[in-house]
Amino acid sequence: MAMTHGGNQAGSHGGVKDGAAGWLLSRVQDWSRENSLWPATFGLACCAIEMMATAAGRFDLARFGSELFRASPRQADLMIVSGRVALKMAPVVREIYDQMPEPKWVIAMGDCAACGGIFNNYAIVQGVDRIVPVDMYIPGCPPRPEALIDGILKLQERIGKGHRR
Amino acid sequence: MTGVWWQQVMGAESVATRDGMPSVRVPAERWLELANAAANAGYARFLDLTVVDEPSDPARFQVLLTLYSFAARGWLRLRTRTPGPLASVTSLFAAANWYEREAFDLFGVHFDGHPDLTRILLPDDYPSHPLRADHPLGDEPIDFTVTREVDSQW
Amino acid sequence: MVEAPDTSQPEARRELLRINLGPQHPSTHGVLRLELELDGETIVSCRPIIGYLHTGIEKSMAARSWLHAIAMTDRLDYLNPLGNNLAFALAVEKLFDCVIPERAVIARLLLAELTRINSHLVWVGTNALDLGALSVFLYTFRERELLLDLFEEMSGARMMTSFIRPGGLAADLPDGWMQRCKQVLDALPKYVDEYEALLTRNPLFRERTIGVGKLSAGDAIAAGVSGPLLRASGIAHDLRKAHPYCGYEQFEFRVPTATAGDCYARYEVRMAELRESIDLCQQALARMPGGPVRTPDRKVMPPLREEFQQSMEALIHHFKHYTEGLRPPAGEAYVPVESPRGELGFYVVSDGTGRPVRIHERAPSFANLQALPAMAKGMLIADLIAIISTVDPVLGEVDR
Repeated sequence: MAMTHGGNQAGSHGGVKDGAAGWLLSRVQDWSRENSLWPATFGLACCAIEMMATAAGRFDLARFGSELFRASPRQADLMIVSGRVALKMAPVVREIYDQMPEPKWVIAMGDCAACGGIFNNYAIVQGVDRIVPVDMYIPGCPPRPEALIDGILKLQERIGKGHRR
Repeated sequence: MTGVWWQQVMGAESVATRDGMPSVRVPAERWLELANAAANAGYARFLDLTVVDEPSDPARFQVLLTLYSFAARGWLRLRTRTPGPLASVTSLFAAANWYEREAFDLFGVHFDGHPDLTRILLPDDYPSHPLRADHPLGDEPIDFTVTREVDSQW
Repeated sequence: MVEAPDTSQPEARRELLRINLGPQHPSTHGVLRLELELDGETIVSCRPIIGYLHTGIEKSMAARSWLHAIAMTDRLDYLNPLGNNLAFALAVEKLFDCVIPERAVIARLLLAELTRINSHLVWVGTNALDLGALSVFLYTFRERELLLDLFEEMSGARMMTSFIRPGGLAADLPDGWMQRCKQVLDALPKYVDEYEALLTRNPLFRERTIGVGKLSAGDAIAAGVSGPLLRASGIAHDLRKAHPYCGYEQFEFRVPTATAGDCYARYEVRMAELRESIDLCQQALARMPGGPVRTPDRKVMPPLREEFQQSMEALIHHFKHYTEGLRPPAGEAYVPVESPRGELGFYVVSDGTGRPVRIHERAPSFANLQALPAMAKGMLIADLIAIISTVDPVLGEVDR
């Protein structure tokens, strides 16, 4: 249900690459990144409400590691773009993305973030992947909380295998 | 505040609308004067100011001002046509500030006397006024035949 | 409250700190940007800058058909989707001048009030969250899920249902839905008691909201404010009572008001409205008649599928409805409703061709936000967060 795009780029492994100890350390690094994805609060529109519902009691995103939504992007590693990106907001999206430290991932939650959604007009950026590289697209208008969790779990799986920006 | 009152006292024409809301047509040069008259007659609560663009008419912008009176328990709609500039009602209704900015931003109607007539919804350097009827929607053609190269490790 | 310095002197101005709040901020209720001038922590001036969610919805709605416009109305005030549907449906029905069956009228009222409960639950939760009380957020969203389950059962979608259409409802309420709705409504009051127990007499909550962000009645009217913001400043104006629509004249309910005009008053008004809405929904459930949920006027609503077998005209009407969309007669209409945020109305203009000339939304949050600088002057930044929260803007309808 969730789709992926983008390649597995070599990133910094912290200088630890070779040997069995290196392999083990990078596996531990990937495992810890996968299981403690902290999203930045980046709710834009309606999808943000479903994102809040996902973080709330019934769906509980925290059990998958996203214990805290960080207000400051400098403390977050996942940007969930939830909602439509307007022209005025586009540079802000890019700036927030740039402020996040490496490694970072982006989920385009909802139709508007993925491709412009039902708003194919002068005002909406047709897909946030025109501004930031996206790792996971979650379709829906808005996607159900289970869909968001599905997307995050698939992204976690990729991160566990070493996918990083 | 009947149509007859508007006609005889103010010299403005009353028009009928489907929703039964009293609606008065005002010549553009008397816009501020009649808005003031409406405010003094009890319609002091500003609710809405919007524009309808009909490019076939030389005075293409129809500006509509919706007011409310608690005493009369009803709405009043003042309407006028202008090719572009119009007096600002911000001196009467402070709430009209953002509404006139929006009309300027999206339609290009210029309100004389507005304290800060700048764009409000679109970026400051946006080149055109998109809600004009002759402005294109700005939609992109959707091409389902394009396949993007996906560099995936799955 | 600290006295603002005399900023007419240039030296005093140079001492002020200019800082930006938003558009990415956990507590601005969306993508709102505020340019603040601060003297220490005290706000000297506050300038809201909006447009970060401008979607061009009005242009998109007019560019397609009346039918497409229905789906877009959900996404304006996204915490009140059925309310937006209702406002749009009422305006289009005024153009058509058609008769809506009684069951549809009461069901619409029920759905609009359930959405009001939903919106106020989100408000209570996010207001408490902004002030630091995280638990209340989790509790209100727990109750919200019960209501979203009802919407999902009824329409297939949790939030953007597009269920109230010009002419009636999209479909009838499912079997057993009303019993389940009653169960939820019976359980809700004790949950609301829980939130009140946590907040209403909580000294921390009271300290942060009483006396904060006062909006006088005069300022409220001058700013074109409506809804709970207006009623908390002492003006008992509610469109459901003053200009009843959609069956409200048949029901008994109060209009809560407060006089203090501060954040606590707005909290009190919304909590009281929440309880009134629960009661209204119970009344609507008890009074729900049987019958069709669509107007018999085939120009407005397509026929049900069962009719296709008997009638060729039914099939043709269905085809024309879904290919060409609605074709309201020429004219204009504005029918305001009372949304959880205030006076919401769609000003629709039709020329009879089936392509809308203009669809404009009178969004309550657009006017309510204009009152923010008046409320914020002289307050601390922490107070500003409380004030923004109690204004309850939804940037989707502010920016459209």
